Amino acid sequence: MAAKNKTSSILIDVLKLQMGSISDSIEREGKTILGGSNLLSSEEITDFCLEFLQLLISLLESKDPHDDASPQFHALEIFFNNLSKQLLVRGGRVEDLVRYIQFMQRTLIEALGTAKNVSPQDMRELLLYLSGLFNEMILSVFHAYLDEKERTIYAQEAELRETATPITEIWDGVLTLPIIGTLDSSRTMIIMEALLSRIAAERAETVVMDLTGVKSIDSQVSHHLIQMVRAIQLMGSAAIVTGIRPEIARALTSLNIDLGNVSTRATLSDGLKEAFRRMNIQVTRG
Amino acid sequence: MSLTGLHLTAIGSGRFLLEPGVGLDISQKNELIDRILGRLQQGGACLMYYHLGGQPVIEEAYYDWLDTLARACTAINVRMVCVHMQPTAAFALSHILKAPPAFDSALSVDL
Repeated sequence: MAAKNKTSSILIDVLKLQMGSISDSIEREGKTILGGSNLLSSEEITDFCLEFLQLLISLLESKDPHDDASPQFHALEIFFNNLSKQLLVRGGRVEDLVRYIQFMQRTLIEALGTAKNVSPQDMRELLLYLSGLFNEMILSVFHAYLDEKERTIYAQEAELRETATPITEIWDGVLTLPIIGTLDSSRTMIIMEALLSRIAAERAETVVMDLTGVKSIDSQVSHHLIQMVRAIQLMGSAAIVTGIRPEIARALTSLNIDLGNVSTRATLSDGLKEAFRRMNIQVTRG
Repeated sequence: MSLTGLHLTAIGSGRFLLEPGVGLDISQKNELIDRILGRLQQGGACLMYYHLGGQPVIEEAYYDWLDTLARACTAINVRMVCVHMQPTAAFALSHILKAPPAFDSALSVDL
């Protein structure tokens, strides 16, 4: 512990003695890397540099600067995490921030060169400490980057799901669901969840599922399809399946899928006519 | 008529509404079915609505109860129609079913 405290006090002395030049150097580089592309304003970079140095000193002055569970260490991590999020939201690149953090590390190591009466053993300790500390900060930046990326991917997936399963109430009590692409387990679950909730909410008597956009079918997909039809019927609605291509019909037969209790029609238009017929709705030209 | 955990009401024209409550013990299904069927026969029932509005999930055991009751109703010429099935219950049941169920389904009681 004594050796550790000695190295941190050497670093504190260097920081306090050369605060001006270290801050200037970090700020200048920050303006080149982050200010050039207008990711951060000049004032923001100045504030950022001062805050970083304050947090670093506060960590070095803490009871154990090596303790990565200390509030001071956590504060420094959060500082970089927030900066990373801020830059990513503004369109910045994680590589630039990592390069900038490496520059900060280099600046501090260069500043250590002026420290007097530092033994090789202490210098080695200091370099190891700085290397470990900045590695942690880079990791923190990457965590923020990955979190942000994941959030973006989830948001895009949600939007895709929303647009890929457009359930429309085409008439009072008649829902249409055009299925485009492949029906895998997760997509079936999403479609079923949305469809069953809509049936309950709209009290839909008939659901017309149009498969015109389904190019191929395998046993798993057909199983999902039957499950979906069954769930619709269990809710008390009638299911009409339309747009079954000849190759899909052939595939269903060879897969021994029984569509005996499922109403099918050639086209979506025929399916709607069947839905109207069942509901005693007559559509006439005005 | 009130059975333990069940409420069976005549709603006219030979139709009955069965509303299960929280106290329903489906492990006693034989006794329950005997009493329900007795009441249906007594009332000259031709159709029984089973209200599933309070059943968020239908798992194997509950489906077995519904299936046995529906088949027993068919045996005395009463059609069983499940109404107000929750989306979550329909979703769960559709994963269990291997063949069409013994009961029919409707959105709600036909007035």
